[in-house]
Amino acid sequence: MSYYDIDAILTDAEKIPCTFQLDVPDLGYLDNTPTQPLKAGTKVNLPLWLAEMLAIANTGDPEGRSFVTFDLPPALGNDVIQALKADPRAVPLRDQSPHFYGLATHMMDLVSEDKLPEVVRNTFVTRAAEVALHARKLGGVGSRGRTAAEEGSNLGFGGAGEEFLRGLDEWERKLFRKAHEGAKSGKEWMENIKKH
Amino acid sequence: MALPLPPGLTHAEVAFLAEMELVTVVPRQRLDSIDLLGGKTPVLRPPHRADLPLWLALLLKKQRRANILPPAWLHPASLSDIIHAETKLNPEAFSEPPPRPSRADPSRPGIARRQHGSGGGDDGDDDDDDGVYSGGVTLSAPFRPSCTADAPAGYLPYHWLEVAEQLLAHAGDDVAAALGGGGGGSGGTATSLSSSSSVLGEVRGLLRDLVEVRAAKLRSSTAALGSFGGGVMSLRGVGAMELAESRGFVLGVVDGVRKLGASVETARREAEEEGMDEGGDGESDEEMGF
Repeated sequence: MSYYDIDAILTDAEKIPCTFQLDVPDLGYLDNTPTQPLKAGTKVNLPLWLAEMLAIANTGDPEGRSFVTFDLPPALGNDVIQALKADPRAVPLRDQSPHFYGLATHMMDLVSEDKLPEVVRNTFVTRAAEVALHARKLGGVGSRGRTAAEEGSNLGFGGAGEEFLRGLDEWERKLFRKAHEGAKSGKEWMENIKKH
Repeated sequence: MALPLPPGLTHAEVAFLAEMELVTVVPRQRLDSIDLLGGKTPVLRPPHRADLPLWLALLLKKQRRANILPPAWLHPASLSDIIHAETKLNPEAFSEPPPRPSRADPSRPGIARRQHGSGGGDDGDDDDDDGVYSGGVTLSAPFRPSCTADAPAGYLPYHWLEVAEQLLAHAGDDVAAALGGGGGGSGGTATSLSSSSSVLGEVRGLLRDLVEVRAAKLRSSTAALGSFGGGVMSLRGVGAMELAESRGFVLGVVDGVRKLGASVETARREAEEEGMDEGGDGESDEEMGF
């Protein structure tokens, strides 16, 4: 992950639910009460980078408490994980978070959850196969206008296929682009053979 | 930061490399040997067949100086055999790459021996290290007669798609004449013309099927990465053009899985190290006990 990786930066900006363990003066504006100190026990959604810093920062608290503790964001919540276990292809990940996998890797680094890595990995691989299928079927050179039947696709442009593609997160979009580039340049090459 | 070209070879580069493949031609004119960088071409004398690189064969074909004999694996029967093997016999793996060329040993009847081997006929039966000859020399694509007329049928060489497409595009009449009924090479009458075009259509259709079958296989081969522990996919027998097409996708999937597995992997390593320490202690304790 490069320093200038825009996706990494945007992933760091994802909000995760945090609970403050200590009273913090002058942070009241985070909870819409600018004049008061932030009370312990307040739940605030903080960006990942800030939550991470606050969670590991040394507070000097005698009981060893950190500023915040955080839970898994709703994108990785139980509902979503159960749905992904049932059928990875049926969940529009983009609605959960545009940087679903980035968020997931980050959270897996921070929280040790038994089931999560397996489910996420299975989701990624299952959906990747589906992504490749769509990338290959979705027209090549200038065939955007053609109908699905002409392309020999049984997925169709509307309906399930398009719905699925709209639900891709950023990793999957990149994957789609790569797979599509490959299929497209293959098609271009094949059409060019006859010209030489 | 990033190079404009993706990693690996592009389709054009692969097609360029495929032009080094040897194909068999039947010359129609005499042509002396040409001293090329890659070695001398054989002298062309009209009724005798000769093996030429694909680019030269296509050049002579365009100038009507030679006819190209399609390789045996391009025959519809061979192609449908391969499709059958890919879909029915072994739907998990890709079909095998062509075996090393072998020749009957005249001193020992019934025993064939790999060609170019620097001796040691006993390594003739193991196919696993194909391309690596006993001398330790690896013979790869252009130096294996995988696209010539005496190539074995039923095996796809590394550059199968490129060679097949080029032959069909530029030497379609030769392919049709050689494959369709064998003798009807005149192509003058309407009937033989229609039959030749039907043979071409059949070969094209079979190639299309084969491409689709294998592309689907390549896509689904990534599914093996789904569970921890698994995750090595064998790409043995995959052609150069297929690799060029799917490289981006497969690399993307593997990279994604690597990133997703990184935290688990570090956790597992740490656990393993601890376990090893404990295990070591346990053993030493046992020894002490004994």
